[in-house]
Amino acid sequence: MSVALPSEATSRDAADRTARLPSGAAQAYLFLAPWLIGFIGLTVGPTLISLYLSFTNFDLIQSPEWTGWANYVRILTNDSKFVASMQVTFFFVVFSVPLKLAFALAVALILNKGLRGLSIYRALFYLPSLLGASVAIAVLWRQLFAADGLVNQLLFSLFRIQGPSWISSPDYALWTLVVLSIWQFGSPMIIFLAGLRQIPQDLYEAASIDGASRRRQFWRITVPMLTPVIFFNAIVQTIDAFKAFTPAFIISDGIGGPVDATLFYTLYLYQEAFANFRMGYASALAWILVLIIAAFTAFSFLTARYWVHYDD
Amino acid sequence: MPSRAQAETQLRMFWWGTQERARRTFGVNDLFMERNSGVSITGETLSWGDYWPRLATQTAGRNIADIVQMDYRYIVEYAGRGALMPLDDYLGESLQITDFDAGAIDSCRVDGKLYGVNLGQNSTCSVFTRSLLEQAGVSLPGHETTWDTLGEWSLEVVDAVGRPNFWGVQDGGGVEPAFNVWVRQRGRELYNQDGTIGFTEEDITDWFAYWADLREKGAVPRADVQALDRDAPESSMLALNYAAMIFTNSNQLVAHQALNRNKLGMTMVPSGGEGAKPGQYMKPSQMWSIAAGTQAPDVAVSVVNFFVTDPDAANILGVERGVSPLPRVREAIAPNLDELDRAMLEYIDFIKDKVGPLPPVPPRAAGEIDRLLIRVNQQVGFGQLSPSEAGKQFLAESTGILERS
Repeated sequence: MSVALPSEATSRDAADRTARLPSGAAQAYLFLAPWLIGFIGLTVGPTLISLYLSFTNFDLIQSPEWTGWANYVRILTNDSKFVASMQVTFFFVVFSVPLKLAFALAVALILNKGLRGLSIYRALFYLPSLLGASVAIAVLWRQLFAADGLVNQLLFSLFRIQGPSWISSPDYALWTLVVLSIWQFGSPMIIFLAGLRQIPQDLYEAASIDGASRRRQFWRITVPMLTPVIFFNAIVQTIDAFKAFTPAFIISDGIGGPVDATLFYTLYLYQEAFANFRMGYASALAWILVLIIAAFTAFSFLTARYWVHYDD
Repeated sequence: MPSRAQAETQLRMFWWGTQERARRTFGVNDLFMERNSGVSITGETLSWGDYWPRLATQTAGRNIADIVQMDYRYIVEYAGRGALMPLDDYLGESLQITDFDAGAIDSCRVDGKLYGVNLGQNSTCSVFTRSLLEQAGVSLPGHETTWDTLGEWSLEVVDAVGRPNFWGVQDGGGVEPAFNVWVRQRGRELYNQDGTIGFTEEDITDWFAYWADLREKGAVPRADVQALDRDAPESSMLALNYAAMIFTNSNQLVAHQALNRNKLGMTMVPSGGEGAKPGQYMKPSQMWSIAAGTQAPDVAVSVVNFFVTDPDAANILGVERGVSPLPRVREAIAPNLDELDRAMLEYIDFIKDKVGPLPPVPPRAAGEIDRLLIRVNQQVGFGQLSPSEAGKQFLAESTGILERS
């Protein structure tokens, strides 16, 4: 970042004015105030309150009652739904993130070949990312994968297979959500595309002259040069996947069914808070999620230096 | 008419329901404001699922509306915590509901005090696609249908309609109101007066086994089809066209008909047969309650009174919230009702002497146990549990939930 240094004259002016105007720092805070007030009032404040509530019993109507570590102890030792929802969330993260990134990279590689009408394709492929988290798409998904849905009609007319009701069968319901997530590959794809453009072409030219195959070029040039972008995408997508809520909420109407097969951690947290009115317990669940995401992110950054290559 | 800004008294009203209910409710509010200058009522509405979190949040934030719609399941929770105003002092004065049908006032009491005004009488029922069954030449279910004959009837429908993925009756194993009727027919209750579980392991095991048997015979939807039902009219087996009959609350007939091309009919939930006790009971479909902290209790009471006693208001409301417990209101609206509304009126009239007493008010965690029933029945349906394992598990989990609440 470049900052123009004030000339001698203007700094003297400024010194004269300090008597009347707030100092530089105060001015900065003044201009920051709208954001700062929102940040403290809507983010920091509630976060601290939720930390306090996580040590209480609070049903929203009566005042909170201090219970110490009881919520955390119950979550970690005696809550089968906590375990079940963790499994669902980890399954989702482990399958949706790598598949989505692989898919995004594949499409970015194709688009990077310099197709005609690139900007149109780029917009088209990005569209699901804009729509994907919306209620309408989750509703559409429900229609597609229901017993008499489009997917089963296709299966039947093409292969004479009578498919199950994918969305409401415990064996497949979570997979339909993984597919929905992969379909929203647009934003990592755009970032991959930008990353691919940054790789100097002379590396490929040199490699071609040395007789390296396309595949070898991909693994020896593209992937290593792209690792900072892969790293960034992986972190962002993983955090997003841990926080996934809307699709599961809409598709299972907040129940997490069938048989808790789509009971994401966030959905369980929501149920405890807003269906069962255990706000204290839900706050404790939320803090455990924060710790898990923080731990995961720290782990990623620690291991990053072994596989992420920066130019400098 | 004075402008809203000049109005002396401002009231907020909050209810759950469909667009149709909102239209009728706003209509009554407008009428009240027309006749009472100096009062302005604003309304907010949400779906059932979104309503309760919002109401709890508003109560916690001391920002609860003056008049709120209340359900039998939640009234103990709110009244017990001092969020609602007792109405006994107004009874017979500005609240002229003393001629309500017997029981229609007592069902809104908590610990002897009146906390709600009954907006309509309600009971559980079976709703079926009348025109489809008539076309298929299957006899319509009636109040003489028993749990024993239900399965054969459903198979008859499967044969007669002959469409893949279509069954006679929904899988009712996860429908708490139907299970409630079943245990009462056996002389027990869902919950005892003290809020503990009121039925036995045998009751719940038999219930799961009954539906497992029908599922095996192909009389009810496969588990993966039934699981599409998210406990809302829009996703019921009837609306999605997977079954000819479902169990629901009688006032929801209007909502179900709006979602269905076939003409619907209604009848009682199957009976327990010879010697069984009456399983159904009459309850308030919903009530108006007044917040304890309202600034204008007298005006709020007069608004509530207007809703349940004024003939013009009643004509706007119809039977969308259930059938009025006030005989003169019923008479006033009867000539203006359409066929469907009249069917509901007649149903409530018909079952009057066939229902049992009102059960004890459900405990706080009843909503969680309601969802547990859906899940455990699914576990049986997907073959994860046998009915007897399911019975044990349901009892263990629900007892755990009750102890925790």
